[in-house]
Amino acid sequence: MKMAPSAKKHAEQSWVIPGGFTVLPLKYSSDSVSQHSLYVKEHRVRAEKTTSRPLDRTLFVLNIPPYCSEEIIKDLFSTFGKVQSVELREKPGTTESSDLKLSKYFRPALTKGFSVGYVVFTSPSGVKAAKSHPRDIPLIVSTENHPVKVGIQKWIQQYRQSLINPEKLQAAVDTFMQGYDQKKEEESERQKEAEEDDEGWVKVTRGVRGSKARPHSEMANQRALQKEDKKRKRKELLNFYTWQHRQTQREHIAELRRKFEEDKQRIAVLRAQRKFRPY
Amino acid sequence: MTMKRKAKKLPASKSAEEVENSDPSSHGEEEEDEEELPTPSKATKTEDHASEESVPRPQKLSKGELYKPPTAEELHQLKEAESLFHCNLLKMQMEELLKEVVLSERRKRLVDSFIMKIKALLQNVPQTREVELNDHSWISEGVKVPFLWVPKTTKGKFHMAPPASVSLVGSYPLGTCTKPSVSVDLSVIMPPAVLHPKDVLNQRYPRKRALYLAGLAQHLRSSPEIGTLRYSCLHGNRLRPLLLLTPPGKDSNSLTVKIHVYPPPGFFKPSLFHPKRNNVRTHWYTGLEAPQPDAVGPPTPHYNSSLLGDVLPKAHLQFLSAISAQCSAFGEAVALLKVWLRQRQLDRGAGCFSGFVGSMLVAYLLSSHRVSNSMTAYQLLRNSLHFLASTDLTKNGITLAKNPDSKAPTLHEFHSTFQVVFVDPSGYLNLCADMTANTYKQVQNEASLSLQFWDDPTVDGFQALLMTPKPLIRTCDHVFQLHGLVKLQASCKKLNLLGELMDHGGDYVLTALPFILSLLQLGLGKRIHLLTHSLTADPEWSVDSEPPKHKDQTPLSFGLLLNPEHSSSVLERGPPADSPEAAEFRQLWGPRAELRRFQDGAITEAVLWGGSSACQKRLVPREIITHLLQLHADIPESCVRYVGGLFDDVIKIGRRSCSTGEEESLKVVQSFDDLSRKLWQLEDLPLSITSVQAAHPALRYTQVFPPVPQKLDYSFFEQDKQSRALVPHKDKPCPVFIPPLQVICHMEGSGKWPHERLAIRHVKAAFHIRLGELLRKQHMYTCSTTPTHVDVYKDGLIFRIQVAYHREPQVLRESIGPDGLLRYRDNEEAQALEMETLHRPYLTSTLHGLQQQHPSFGVTCRLAKRWLAAQLFSDEVDEDAADLLVASLFLQPVPFTPPSSPQVGFLRFLHLLSSFDWKNCPLVVNFNSQLTASDYVEIKNNFIASRESLPVMFIATPKDKKVSIWTKQGPSVQMLQRLIVVASESLRVLEAQLLDPSQNQDVRVALRPPLDMYDVLIHLNPKYVPLLDQAVDPPHITFSRGTVPGSAPSTRGLLPVIDFNPVSLYLAELRDAFGHLALFFCDPYGGTVIAVLWKPQAFKAQPFKTSQMSARCVEVSGDEAHSLPNVEAILEDFRIMGDALVRKVEPRMENWVV
Repeated sequence: MKMAPSAKKHAEQSWVIPGGFTVLPLKYSSDSVSQHSLYVKEHRVRAEKTTSRPLDRTLFVLNIPPYCSEEIIKDLFSTFGKVQSVELREKPGTTESSDLKLSKYFRPALTKGFSVGYVVFTSPSGVKAAKSHPRDIPLIVSTENHPVKVGIQKWIQQYRQSLINPEKLQAAVDTFMQGYDQKKEEESERQKEAEEDDEGWVKVTRGVRGSKARPHSEMANQRALQKEDKKRKRKELLNFYTWQHRQTQREHIAELRRKFEEDKQRIAVLRAQRKFRPY
Repeated sequence: MTMKRKAKKLPASKSAEEVENSDPSSHGEEEEDEEELPTPSKATKTEDHASEESVPRPQKLSKGELYKPPTAEELHQLKEAESLFHCNLLKMQMEELLKEVVLSERRKRLVDSFIMKIKALLQNVPQTREVELNDHSWISEGVKVPFLWVPKTTKGKFHMAPPASVSLVGSYPLGTCTKPSVSVDLSVIMPPAVLHPKDVLNQRYPRKRALYLAGLAQHLRSSPEIGTLRYSCLHGNRLRPLLLLTPPGKDSNSLTVKIHVYPPPGFFKPSLFHPKRNNVRTHWYTGLEAPQPDAVGPPTPHYNSSLLGDVLPKAHLQFLSAISAQCSAFGEAVALLKVWLRQRQLDRGAGCFSGFVGSMLVAYLLSSHRVSNSMTAYQLLRNSLHFLASTDLTKNGITLAKNPDSKAPTLHEFHSTFQVVFVDPSGYLNLCADMTANTYKQVQNEASLSLQFWDDPTVDGFQALLMTPKPLIRTCDHVFQLHGLVKLQASCKKLNLLGELMDHGGDYVLTALPFILSLLQLGLGKRIHLLTHSLTADPEWSVDSEPPKHKDQTPLSFGLLLNPEHSSSVLERGPPADSPEAAEFRQLWGPRAELRRFQDGAITEAVLWGGSSACQKRLVPREIITHLLQLHADIPESCVRYVGGLFDDVIKIGRRSCSTGEEESLKVVQSFDDLSRKLWQLEDLPLSITSVQAAHPALRYTQVFPPVPQKLDYSFFEQDKQSRALVPHKDKPCPVFIPPLQVICHMEGSGKWPHERLAIRHVKAAFHIRLGELLRKQHMYTCSTTPTHVDVYKDGLIFRIQVAYHREPQVLRESIGPDGLLRYRDNEEAQALEMETLHRPYLTSTLHGLQQQHPSFGVTCRLAKRWLAAQLFSDEVDEDAADLLVASLFLQPVPFTPPSSPQVGFLRFLHLLSSFDWKNCPLVVNFNSQLTASDYVEIKNNFIASRESLPVMFIATPKDKKVSIWTKQGPSVQMLQRLIVVASESLRVLEAQLLDPSQNQDVRVALRPPLDMYDVLIHLNPKYVPLLDQAVDPPHITFSRGTVPGSAPSTRGLLPVIDFNPVSLYLAELRDAFGHLALFFCDPYGGTVIAVLWKPQAFKAQPFKTSQMSARCVEVSGDEAHSLPNVEAILEDFRIMGDALVRKVEPRMENWVV
């Protein structure tokens, strides 16, 4: 790797690139010959209101290699201060809250590629420590004390984890369905209430359940239009008047001409491609 | 850090050029056409750019133009086009084709001037003194006589003299001469003084003719006006040598003048050549004193007709000119017929259906008023084919003679001496004298096949009729060759063919051929539809070398069109033992015939052939052929090179077995049928099952290597106590790979189903749990449940049952718009679900049905997919798309018949890949003929209208007319181009190898991918490649995979390790992590190398962006940060992520630099 000329001078210092990111070198193990660079910055998105990423204590990390799980990142960043939580994602952005509530069996699978992470420290000092990490001391992912499982070992572990106990799965399904039924019930209750107006009158409608309660769907609109079209067509008489007959004939010839023209075009293209050489 | 490419070695850019060059039409015939057409390289290039930008779209006519009153002529034209052709297209296509094949004015001028020069030269042939016929000393050293002088003795005198006259004959003066290989026939009349009326006897005239040719060659040799000078012979007949001349310099390829030497008109009376006459005396030929000196000997019809052919050319030319003058389209019709014949390889060689016979046929139809003089070329061609298809010239010969004289032979006499009869206007000459019945049957078969698809609007008739070449190897299901033709000499002796040998002037190959053909036809009987043979190519040799011997001819090739119903039956049941036919049967089969008693009580003669597995049974015809040839014609098995099952090796199951997997596939399907029945009968399910459908290639016979049940050695694995399942052991080799076979199980619709995506997923999970429980309780199957499926271990196989709810895709598409309307928006999730639960099961059952109609479908698919995988394309063209491609070969085989052997199916698959015009045409796979002509038009119009947005490889099916769902994911343009290049190269190599007996037969050559263009090679440790045994070249080392011999338990047992393949897991991780930087290729069937190709655009410096920093490193220049891929670290990651699996990462630095 070609270093910037000023590299030696700042050897003991951290390296901040334009854009405000600090570069943290990362090696898989101490005898690795090459290294990746993590790009870290304090998490600062004003619009975001999620409590899981407090603004002053969260470190935003880019370019996390695929063999780093949340636990490993937690371990790595513990050198800068106590880590409260780590969240790894495919792309920067907010999480959908609905996924978090699901049981582990139904959560969408994590990507196996490079990821970005949000590391939340217990105190803001962790963020600062991470940002001032010197550029020539790489973080080591896999050490003798904490070997990381990769390759065959990892896949065997994954396989073991993929074996699911049906009873536990059934339990997870039951909990969800209970919650779902409850939610549905509440919803229908609410709907009933909403229909009761201030003076206690209730508007009587056809039904309250599901899609029928909704006024219209796009499809229904289209279908109605098509029906009307059909009706109009059925009423029309064809080839009844002389002018209609003449019109049909004219259309026929026009159709033939159009086809002729199309074919000529096609031939021209094929000829251009020399498609008529038999051998 | 910077990265630069040394050279553009990407397959994309490379293959694009090669595709242009590999276009067969751009070769060969270029140089002479500069005037008419722009040079090919320019043409293809400019055109390519143009069509890249604008796909053809019909020009819109303005309203005024469309509706203006038509003229009478225009009306007539439009009507004609409407009624005669499906559309104008075919008419215009034929016109364009004719423009391509007729001679240009420039070429005609060239011919005329060259002929003038030759004529002038020929007038100055010097006179020589008279010598004995056997004395060749007057010919200079550098010229040899083009004749096999056997036997040596000849009476008579010869001297050289200027020709009596020189004139043009044949197709050129008639105007039916076509490109390519333009040949002009020049007749040179020998002076009468050289000849003697008795010269017809004992090859005296043919020998004089050969000497005269040698004299001409000697004279012309020194002339600077002539480029090359070679000998040949007319239609492989060695009694009729020719002299071939080409102009000097750059025109040498553009025309050949054939010099025929003829006797003066009227010198020999045609009645001398009556087919019943003997003109070659036995005692002269054998050199033995005849027992009776006056005995005449057997008739020599072929000898006679070859001499008679020299007497009549002038008369034939006059006859054809008269016909042509009356019918304006005659020339064009003959030209089209010639193209048709040539594409079918029928127009050249010994006993061919030559262009001359073709023009005589059209003349016959015209003169017998079967067609009218006012017909167009299109109609004439159609009627000619119709006539050929409906008339059997082997039984009902035809004659052009209006009122033959009384001495002329009758049709009956012709039939008794020749196999095919078509008599010329003189009444003496059979134009098809040398043609075998099999060749005519082939012509007939081709003609009726052509008529079948001519009117089919769903077929591109023009392409199939006139543009597609039909080489033997791609037409016939099985092909075999006889090499070591010298052995045929022994056959002639064995078959007692001395008379015939004399008749053919000692050409034992042509003599034995009809007898071998009829022998094989008899022996193969119902097993074949057609037995064809290649026509021996006309030999060509230079004037200074001796004529080639008969044994040096190219090997004879025979083709079989199999009848799949009977072709692989191992039993040949003969007549009852006491019937008179029994003796005949025994005579035919020799020692192989034996008496057998059958279950119905009958005792009959029978022959039982060997073969237990399907692939061995497919080769029963080979056994029959070698047996019969050995028994009756003394041709040893070593001379027969049978090309029928050479690809079987590639898809053999296991190392030692002799099965190619048909039996295994059948077992898998049977096991599935059983499971399906059990699922239907399950009780206590909350909702009932509405359908159980297979959705895996193995369940439609097209899995490359169908799963084989294995008995497991439990001690090889670790065990997971809780779920009673086996888990791979980390210190042992990767265990045997057991693929899960997807089964889709639709549940009935009910109000109980929730109407929300997450809830549906949970309900489905509940169903999976329930299904697993019930199968365990009621049928003792070991099951494993996950939220998305339940795996059932049955008969040593794993079935992965997925519950489906038919409204789920719709629920996934639903959303509520801002205006409160419920709207449906298509999304990937819904499409993927529909693919899995709707389209794939449907495709599987459709293809399963196709296999029932065409027994070789499955094996062809497997070969095709094996090739795709071996060439590292299996991720580009997925299994379903590959099966569809193969299905198209069976559903729309024109101009061929549906393949009846995997070999020919596979070759046609390669040809389809390499020749199909994906840019301009949709490939329509018409299952069960559900699509009508109007559907085809609709598909085509749709396709043209939105070409840019559609997949590059567009495949339409009855269920999918607009989208081509199976090729949406790939291949990309670049990969398709590469695919085309590799396919055509493989096809070229294979066809050359299959047809050339001198080449070593190793079809695996076509399955070894070239790896030199890839940037990085990742070598894998074979220990962890579970499918190692399926590799193209399996390594010698084997690993224990945790199996023991014996059959797998049908129920119970611990759950085996399912779907655990480290290679595919590793590939998936690589693609997830580096898919934006590189492409990864691997042969899924035992490949031990992963080839990596960098994506060039990923190596350009990009500005720093938080969303695009994966595996990149930053470079700062001034105030800006740019990112580049961190190649060093990536290469190391390859190793880390594939720990233990990866043996070596080999960056190929000759292709790129960092």
